[in-house]
Amino acid sequence: MKKIFKIVKREFLTRVTTRGFIIGTVLGPVFIIGMMLGPAYFMSMSSQKALTFRVVDYSGIILKELPKAFPDTLDNGQPRFIFSALDPDVYQQKKEAVRADIENGLIDAALIIPGDILEGGKITYLAKSVGDIDLIQKIRNNLSDVVNNWRLKDAGMDPEKIYELTRKVSIKTVKVVKGQEKARGFQQEYFTSLIFLMMLYMTILFYGQAIVRGVTEEKTSRIVEILLSSTNSFQLMMGKLFGVGAVGLTQYIIWGLMSMAAFFFATSSMPAMADYISVSPVILLYFIVFFIIGFFTFSTLFAAVGALCSDMQDIQSFSTPVTFLIIIPFIISFMIIKDPTTSTAQILSFIPFFTPLIMFLRISLQGCSGWEF
Amino acid sequence: MNALKVEQISKFYDDFKAVDRISFSIQQGSLFGLLGPNGAGKTTTMRMIMNIIIPDEGKIELLGEPFSEKTKDRVGYLPEERGLYPKMKLLAMLQFLGEMKGLSGNQAKKVASQWLERFDLMQWANNKVQDLSKGMQQKVQFIGTIMHSPDLLIVDEPFSGLDPINTKFLKDILLELKQQGTTIILSTHLMDQAEKLCDHICLINRGKAVLNGSLKEIKQQYSHNSVHLEYQGDASFIKELPFVHSVDDYGNYMEIRLDEQTNADLLFQALAESKMPVKKFEVSESSLNDIFIEIVGGKSNEENI
Repeated sequence: MKKIFKIVKREFLTRVTTRGFIIGTVLGPVFIIGMMLGPAYFMSMSSQKALTFRVVDYSGIILKELPKAFPDTLDNGQPRFIFSALDPDVYQQKKEAVRADIENGLIDAALIIPGDILEGGKITYLAKSVGDIDLIQKIRNNLSDVVNNWRLKDAGMDPEKIYELTRKVSIKTVKVVKGQEKARGFQQEYFTSLIFLMMLYMTILFYGQAIVRGVTEEKTSRIVEILLSSTNSFQLMMGKLFGVGAVGLTQYIIWGLMSMAAFFFATSSMPAMADYISVSPVILLYFIVFFIIGFFTFSTLFAAVGALCSDMQDIQSFSTPVTFLIIIPFIISFMIIKDPTTSTAQILSFIPFFTPLIMFLRISLQGCSGWEF
Repeated sequence: MNALKVEQISKFYDDFKAVDRISFSIQQGSLFGLLGPNGAGKTTTMRMIMNIIIPDEGKIELLGEPFSEKTKDRVGYLPEERGLYPKMKLLAMLQFLGEMKGLSGNQAKKVASQWLERFDLMQWANNKVQDLSKGMQQKVQFIGTIMHSPDLLIVDEPFSGLDPINTKFLKDILLELKQQGTTIILSTHLMDQAEKLCDHICLINRGKAVLNGSLKEIKQQYSHNSVHLEYQGDASFIKELPFVHSVDDYGNYMEIRLDEQTNADLLFQALAESKMPVKKFEVSESSLNDIFIEIVGGKSNEENI
């Protein structure tokens, strides 16, 4: 027992004092948050760019509605979408010039609106890149509104009236926990669960790999022979698992403190943030519990993998099957996050290697009956 | 009392007999040589003694009792392939090794410092193991093996990779430990070292113990009537002498094997009569090296035919 403790101490100290640990602890949350907020940030960045459209309007009724239909403005108050008219007759003669302008970047796109637009004619969108689905979606929706307005007017109806009558109903999401109502938004659920899931996944995988490397390193450097002449293999393994596990928990505690500080800072300066992230202490507790369960499940497997590897090159190929055991539930989680109540989710959470991730997700999203533990 | 008793142990790898029914016992306080050519089964035998490999057959008694976790703390083992954590600092590494043998943290630190001082490594104490030369690492490993003052010390090829100064230093420490009553098992394939150090030897070849006993008895048993001669001039007459069995002539050095029952004095007289200048005349018993080559080389030759 004393020897296990000594091994734990060594494993813990040598790992916590490495540069890798310090960097990982600091950058870990940055990466996780960056991975989720990054795409959104880049998208908002791109919407800060003014887009110039050249519009060839054969119908003669759409063009003048466009500025009203695209009211988006940039941060500096200028309109985001700038429309310049091109006479259809001129366009017929200067098609080449318009294409050249698009290629040279003088204009971002050209919209060719046919004369029979109200009767179902197709609008042509000319641009260097047609990959921005969001943008095309926006153009289609907004133009549809314009065209629909005309159609309604032609049919003798008042568009304002119609829109008011066909307005969508709004839904307020309320979560029932132990018979009590909790007002929580979907986004709140989604973000908290996702952040924790990512952390669980990454740390289990990371520390599992650390175990493989540790065991293989001891094997290749022959330390294991010396250690075995002083201890036995059980003490050695337990020492390693507890040591590395303690490193993981330390990292969590540091992250916990960091995020608490960040949370207080964020909620005091930006109250809107609190709508996205809310962590109950119970969830934190479950998080630690499932880290411990998951860590021991996988790290024993990873330790076995390490014992199979005869050199560092083997690690990759031998640990792949075990890695898949954790990647699969991670991918499944994204489906479960949408609907944690299905029996599929319930059944999957009972499969031993899937339990740590999926069960944690189910508990944090929906709460589970006691027997399922 | 026997510090170690090995009875009929065997280890098989599939059909290959790595160790085949080896038995020996070691007196407390003696220096026991486990000798043999490369691949004879020395390391396997030592690993079985340390319970790192479990023997397929046979029984091992360590310090008067079967192997247990408790006996581990009284034994020091230096494996053939050294192993240290490359990224740990020297003193911390030794402290850890000491703690693994049941020393307390402070005790281990103190003993480690003393030994580092003695091995002239103290200025490296806070360097990482990987910054040290291979020879230095070996000395560190040796300190790790002896720092808990074991009753039984098992060292596998301790001198490999050391320069002559360090070899002598290590040898002195081994002898010092022996004087303090430590039983030492030394495995080596260098016969001249074994000959100078060991009281008892066990010679293993192809997994079998082919020689086992006190070095003195073995040497008597295998000694031949031979003379080493350094001379000048023409010595061709020697091989014509009636009592000479065979000679091995190097030009100014000659090894002469006499017929059995012949006294070396006869050769001495013959040389004196010949008036040939003789620089050195030595009646020799066979060296362990000769015995080794005779037994191991002879065996393999037989089997090759």
